[in-house]
Amino acid sequence: MNCNDLGRLAPLYITGELDEWQAAEFDEHLRSCPACLRELELQSRLDARLREVVLAEESNAARVDSRVRQLIAAESERQIPPQHAPRSRRWASAAIAIAAAAIVLAAVGYRTLVGTSVARVYADAAWDHGVEVVDRQPRPWLTDPAQIAELAEKQGISPSAVTALASGGYRLERGKLCFLDHRIFLHLVYSDGVREFSVYLRPRDAKALPASVREISNGEPLCTSDLGNEHVASVETPQLTALVVTNQSSDAALNFARFVSAVL
Amino acid sequence: MPHSRSLLRVARRISSDASAAEDLVQETLLRAWRAFGQFQSGTNARAWLFRIMFNAFYAHGRKTRNGPVIVSLEQSGPEFEPQSQPLLAWTDAVSVARALDGLSQEHRAVLLLGVVEGFKCREMAEILSVPIGTVMSRLSRARQSLRERLTSNGSQPRESRSNTACAEREAS
Repeated sequence: MNCNDLGRLAPLYITGELDEWQAAEFDEHLRSCPACLRELELQSRLDARLREVVLAEESNAARVDSRVRQLIAAESERQIPPQHAPRSRRWASAAIAIAAAAIVLAAVGYRTLVGTSVARVYADAAWDHGVEVVDRQPRPWLTDPAQIAELAEKQGISPSAVTALASGGYRLERGKLCFLDHRIFLHLVYSDGVREFSVYLRPRDAKALPASVREISNGEPLCTSDLGNEHVASVETPQLTALVVTNQSSDAALNFARFVSAVL
Repeated sequence: MPHSRSLLRVARRISSDASAAEDLVQETLLRAWRAFGQFQSGTNARAWLFRIMFNAFYAHGRKTRNGPVIVSLEQSGPEFEPQSQPLLAWTDAVSVARALDGLSQEHRAVLLLGVVEGFKCREMAEILSVPIGTVMSRLSRARQSLRERLTSNGSQPRESRSNTACAEREAS
């Protein structure tokens, strides 16, 4: 795969639609071509910025919803012949129609969008976890622990940190690189057999993680942030910045972050 | 209602104004309600809703803008000046929004669907009723065009940069 191929296939790579061997070739090219890696990183930054700007815009969805409910109710009313339907029954039917419409439209699934007041790095992590782990969108994951360790080392993260987290009943399932708030993180997925946790690691830098401090763990602040279905907890060790994301509960994220703090 | 915010976000930027966007989403949800029997269980209902919306949009004869959104002076902030303020453009939300609005309707649509709403290329192809290759090329061009609007020296095409980088690497 050369640089032209990479440019052509980048849209499919970004959306996780390349098949396994193409994704592997894509990754291989990125590892050997700093220019393409920079290009993709720049694109990722621009995508994230665009997403943030558009998602921050206010909308009048509530007004539209209200109008649609009224129209559905009116339409349902028209579909019931008045001579055969008592008034109370017609209203009941309309109410049922509205409820049914809401259920029907709710059935398509709803993803709570993150608020704009949430720190970008947490919003990105919650979004990433939701798409890649909860929704299981196809991505070029590494599953071989040795390859994941090698990937970690290239990012300046000690492989022992990766393996240290695969203890206490947690198993390392997969890993890849991702961008959160314009910075590269190593995205690791651990499982206790029932639940999956995303752990995002990068070498600690001067940029501290913003959040409300829940407690002090091993001398470092442990922070949490809830974003819709996703719960984020973060902790910084002297060497690493770590974010934990789960869709289970805030406590589950907090507990795993305590575990991260204890073993790293 | 689920997805109405999402639909409205996209509608707002392909329609002529906010009122037209609300009408488009309203029509989309009503059409979905009436046609729910045609929805195939197990398929992507969110993509189905967006496809209904774009069909409705096209059915109205593209009573839409082809140019930028009209932004009131109160909302607009400073003028977009990519040549003189390249770094500001990356961080300034107004500049990003204006750059997006300055793109063609086709480019706006793929960026909104792919980057903001998270649809895959395959899903976008179905939503927009175009081949997947068209989606890929539109997405690449849209990203490049957006970047050019946000950076002072961003007019060099991606392919050229990549080719140069590749040639340099292969030469070494």
